[in-house]
Amino acid sequence: MERHFEQDLAELRADIVRMGHLVDEQLAGACRALFSGDTSLAAHVIARDTEVDRYDTLIEERCQKYFALTAPVATDLRLLMAALMIDTQLERMGDIAVNIAERVAPLAAHQKVLGGTRIEEMTSAALTMVRESLDSFIRGDAGLARRVVEADALVDEIDRELLGRVIGLMEHDIALVTPGVHILLLSRHIERLADHATNVAEDVIFLVEARVVKHALRGGDTASL
Amino acid sequence: MTTGPLPLQPKISTSTLSVLYGAKAAVKNVSLDIPANKVTAFIGPSGCGKSTFLRSFNRMNDLIEGAHIEGSVRIDGVDIYDRGIDVVELRKRVGMIFQRSNPFPKSIYDNIAYGPRVNGIRDRKRLDEIVESALRRSAIWDEVKDDLGKSALALSGGQQQRLCIARALAVDPSVLLMDEPASALDPTATGKIEELIYELKDRYTIVIVTHNMQQAARVSDLTAFFYLGELVEFDETRKIFTAPSHRQTEEYITGRFG
Repeated sequence: MERHFEQDLAELRADIVRMGHLVDEQLAGACRALFSGDTSLAAHVIARDTEVDRYDTLIEERCQKYFALTAPVATDLRLLMAALMIDTQLERMGDIAVNIAERVAPLAAHQKVLGGTRIEEMTSAALTMVRESLDSFIRGDAGLARRVVEADALVDEIDRELLGRVIGLMEHDIALVTPGVHILLLSRHIERLADHATNVAEDVIFLVEARVVKHALRGGDTASL
Repeated sequence: MTTGPLPLQPKISTSTLSVLYGAKAAVKNVSLDIPANKVTAFIGPSGCGKSTFLRSFNRMNDLIEGAHIEGSVRIDGVDIYDRGIDVVELRKRVGMIFQRSNPFPKSIYDNIAYGPRVNGIRDRKRLDEIVESALRRSAIWDEVKDDLGKSALALSGGQQQRLCIARALAVDPSVLLMDEPASALDPTATGKIEELIYELKDRYTIVIVTHNMQQAARVSDLTAFFYLGELVEFDETRKIFTAPSHRQTEEYITGRFG
């Protein structure tokens, strides 16, 4: 029997996917601006964050309505819970796109210093995690979600290596302290971005398998996967 | 059929139980252990056999011509369909609450005292104690204590249902069977019955049949889903309503059924 609620849930899913695409575009734009020193693109990203926030409000309101009116259970319940949790992660990823965009101007004149670190590799790994976490939601693919969780270890590893390298650069040349601090802040944003992608992936595993894995899988412990 | 973890000593235990009306089986080959001092809910579409199954626990089906059972029902380890079983005694131990409240056309007091009097209790002080205790446990004492001589039929529907629960408690049962106990009540009266069920489970084993899925979710510890006379899934209510193991259960509780 086709339920009219089915259409509501399909619309909710579509909103999450649309929000995910927007956040992905925001992140890609912020990173492109960063590595090209394009401050006008950075400004565009910052201005567009209000669109992400609108989706956040829309999805929260939809979920609140469905919780109140439909008393959801089983897969319906998990979808609404996952939608709320993923929405929160996406909204924070949107904020990180803004954070990255805000570093574009201070780092525009320091492309060479940027290029001397693994920040681009770290960014690329984190963006791949974001995209694959969204793909895992769209396809209901818990296997792909698990691979996203595993991928976080590489981002963490680059983050640690980058910290040591940038401190070394700053100790060696006091003129590099300002860009160095910005790069360290940037690496903090990227590391958090990868964490949010991991959270989305864990929410997808919850949605698909009805298992809460988020604390079992932390710290690179994937033995219980 | 899937069952979750259950204690070693069930209060009620059915083994390959079938209940037949003539040649037609309303309940088919159901084996189920119901733990003591828990609320167990039976859910399923109309005609799935859940009420028939419930009524087999105090042999109410005996009253229907042509009804008979195969398999066994044990309560506290005793086969209640054994020849030596006194059915009146059984129904004292296994009380039943129906969809429509059915108070006797007597006073509130006499409704509650009826069972104890049939059991030979004549001492007024003792009867007073039993009546008060049963009404208190049914969360209706404060509403009727000054009016015990009033006709039970003058009470509201929700009060009448709690009175019927008090009447069942007055003969000191250990099991309470409830067949859609709140389906004829408004939300406030339903809420009171549900609170009462929650309060009572410390002292009684409660089995409830309900069409109201949210009621099953709210009041029960364990839920059994029946379909076409068969037990499809039995597990902790939390599990049934968040991650059921069977597709049929999932489709039924989410309203995709049929």
